[in-house]
Formats: sequence, structure tokens, C-alpha cells
Amino acid sequence: MAGTDFLNPSEKLEKQFVGFRHHLEESGNLRERIQAVATEIDSVTRLIYASLLLVHQSRPVTEVIEKAKAQIGVLKEHYSQLSEIVRECPGQHYRYHGDWKSETQTVVSLLAFMHWLETGSLVLHSEVEEKLGLTPTEFGLDVDDYLIGICFMSNELPRYVVNQVTAGDYDCPRKVLKFLTDLHAAFRMLNLRNDFLRKKFDGMKYDLRKVEEVFYDVKIRGLAANGDSSGEKHAQGQA
Amino acid sequence: MLYASKLSLIVMAPKPQRIRHLVGATCEGAMRKARTMSTETETETETSSMKDAFSKYADYLNNINDKRERVVKASRDITMNSKKVIFQVHRMSKQNKEEVLDKAVKVLAAVNDQYLSRLVKELQGTDFWKLRRAYSPGVQEYVEAATLCNFCKTGLLLTLDEINATLLPLSDPSVEPLQINILDYILGLADLTGELMRLAIGRISEGELDFAEKICSFVREIYRNLTLIAPEMDDSSDMKQKMETMLQSVMKIENACFSVHVRGSEYIPLLGSADTSYPLLGMPDID
Repeated sequence: MAGTDFLNPSEKLEKQFVGFRHHLEESGNLRERIQAVATEIDSVTRLIYASLLLVHQSRPVTEVIEKAKAQIGVLKEHYSQLSEIVRECPGQHYRYHGDWKSETQTVVSLLAFMHWLETGSLVLHSEVEEKLGLTPTEFGLDVDDYLIGICFMSNELPRYVVNQVTAGDYDCPRKVLKFLTDLHAAFRMLNLRNDFLRKKFDGMKYDLRKVEEVFYDVKIRGLAANGDSSGEKHAQGQA
Repeated sequence: MLYASKLSLIVMAPKPQRIRHLVGATCEGAMRKARTMSTETETETETSSMKDAFSKYADYLNNINDKRERVVKASRDITMNSKKVIFQVHRMSKQNKEEVLDKAVKVLAAVNDQYLSRLVKELQGTDFWKLRRAYSPGVQEYVEAATLCNFCKTGLLLTLDEINATLLPLSDPSVEPLQINILDYILGLADLTGELMRLAIGRISEGELDFAEKICSFVREIYRNLTLIAPEMDDSSDMKQKMETMLQSVMKIENACFSVHVRGSEYIPLLGSADTSYPLLGMPDID
């Protein structure tokens, strides 16, 4: 028989496993702390989302945003807590990333929606990091999470357009359509894998279609001509 | 932009609405063309900053996806060649044990030098956790092969520290060396029991009962220790399934040992005589 020196391996073996258990218990504790913060983030995003939902009831944008913005500071605080916890295990950021991933995607979508309501433009990855007080070297915003968050925001736009038109803002579809078309074109520059982001991006075209339909409905009835955009009137004249 | 939205309308329209959409697209298209010209300048800067940003994201995604793809390939090669080590170990029989195991160790060393080193090179000291999914299968298989080899040679469990020590020379000293993480090591060990079960059955059929019993107690120890650890794992659902398979393996070995123990007590004295009717024992011990 080859292994002649069959020592009782039990002790050496057990020693290693005790060490493993210790390690795993520690990482389990760390994970629990991370999850606790992630839950906090989740409840803040709910508050923000609830305040933002008022835009569908045609409340003035500035008022709505003011209220939602007040919560960003709280988010920032939670992200600095996360960053502090993760600092305890250098290099293992992505081991725990799954625990705040979906919360962060929601955060991105809300910030992007707010930013768009305010400025009509897309919030950039670096701008989100800035808003949340994240530093790429320590605790950066994952690009995938950012992009997925942007897709979530796109899902919100068809509803916004419908309600704005109902409330009498006939120029809104044109603006949203322009924005979404550009965004969709920008996304097509990316080579995606068959992952969640790809799925979300594939869904974006349905948002685009819905907005196109609204735009068409408004346009075909000549309602857009009553809008307050001078560019729109100009275009109408040419058509 | 015009082309894009037209296309999207055509592609996306469900069948019943298609005609309406096509009509919509044409007249809408004409109107939009006019408008695009008038509003071009006002939104141009905005659009181009979005494009710039997205070309950065595209670069990032291309890089990480290419890297992931290379890591997956390296991982597959590690899996394939680690499997060769495992098959080599199973080729052992009573007579050629040393020879077979020496060859297995050589193949294992080759896996280290050629394939693990490629994984190390592709990772370049970064993204160990981000790309873990991409290389985890290969590493698990390697752990399985290395521990199996080591058990057959020494009867002991090759520890994680021992494996990681062999990986150190593969890394460029300027980057952080690849070290197998606890999770992949444990998952590899969980698979090891399946191979040990095959080995034990093979040994029993060749009549090497002591070896089979050594395997049995070793596997029991591993299973026992892992029961405490399994629920603490990062992804414990995967591990839970492996624990069930592991228990099956342990019981298969135990049952085989039991059969030999119970029935063997009757038949072993007969071995060497003309009676070979006991299939589990075959024709052993008549050297």
C-alpha cells in the first residue's frame, strides 16, 4: 500500500477547519452589518421614491425635488458607513458587493430621475459618485450598477409622459422622446454580456415605444402646437 | 436617430398594431426630420457629453468582459487538466500504485506551471473577488485534484495554506499573489469526497480493505467538519446541495465497508480456494 504512514489525520484536519469556521463567522458578522446598512438605504430610497411619485400628480417639480433631495444627505451617510465596514476587509469589496447591489441600483435610478427632472440631462457615473460621496479608489460605484439604475429610470419615463400630457404639458413627450432616443443610442455603444444589464437594456425599447406612441398621439391631434416650446412651433410650421 | 426610432417601431410593434405604427412612423418621421434640424444646436452639447461618458463605460465594460472571458478560458483549462490528474489517480491498482501516483503528481505539477500560472497572469493581482465566479470552477477542480493526489500519497489532507504556498512562486512579485480563498477550497473538498468514494469502491473490489477503511474514516472526518461550516458559507445553498451529495458518498463507502465486513467474514477464508462467488471481493489477496 502506498500511503504507509497513515497518521491519524483527525487533529490536523480539525485544526484547519476550526480556523475556517472562525474566518467564516467573522465574514458572516461583517455581512450582517453590511446588510443592516443596506436595509437602511432601502428604506431611505422608499422615502425618496414616495416623494418623487408626486410628480405624477403634477405637483411642481421644484417642490417635489426639494423634498426628495433632503434625503440625499442620509444616503451619503449610509454609504460612508458601508465604505467604513468594507475597509475592514481590504480587497474583498466584491465579495460583499451583492449585499448592496440592488439597493444601489435603485439609488442610482432615483438620483438620475431627480437629475433629469431638474436639468433634462443624464446624470453621469462620476456625478452619482459625487452625490453619494463615493471615491473610486475606496468604495466606487460599480459601472454595471450605474447602468442598470439608468435603465430603471427609463422605466419611469413612460408613466411620467402620460401623466404630464394628461395634465396639459404637451411639449413633454418631445423632450422625453429626445432624451430617451439619445439614451438608447448611447446604450447601444456598449457591448453587453447576456446578463441582467442586457435584459434591462432590452426592456428600454418598450419605454421608448410607449413614449413614441404618446408623442404620436399628441402630435397627430395638433396638441403639441399649443405647447410652449418655440422650437416646437417652428417645427410645426415646417411640417 | 431617425433610422433608429423607425427601426424600433417596426421591430417592436406587436402584429395587430403594425400598420398603424408604420403609418405613424412615416409621418412622424417627416415631422421629426424638420424638428431635428431646428433643435440640433440646442441639444448637441448635451448629446455629445452623454456619448463621451458612454464611450468610457463601453471601454470599461469591454476591458472587464475580455478579462473575464480570458479568465474563464484559463479556468476551463485548469478544470480539464485537473480532471486528468483525477483519472490518473483512479488508474492505480495494487501493483502499480507508486508509478501511477508519481505520474499523477507530475501532471498536477504541470497544471500548476502551465494553467494556474496563466490564470494568475490573467488576473494580474486584481479583481480576485469580482471575477471569482469566472475562475471558481477551475480552482475547485484543482483543489480536488491536489487533495486527492496528496491523500493517496500521504493519507493526509492537503491544507489550504499548503496549496497556497505552491501558488506563490507563480505570481509576479510586484502584484498581489493569487491565493485560493476558503470558499473555493471548501467547495473543492466537498467534491473530493465523490472521488474518494469511487476510489474506495475500487480498492474494496481489489481487496485493499484497510485502504478503503482509511478512506472511509477520512471522508467521515471531512463531512463532520464541514457540517459545522456549511451554513456559514457565503453562498450556502450551493454548499447545502454538496453536503447532501457528500453524505451519499460517505454512506456508499460505509455500506461497502459494511458488506465486506459482514459477508467478508464468511468468505475471506474461502478466498484463494476455487470460490470466487463473492463479487465485491473479486480475486484479491492471492498474490
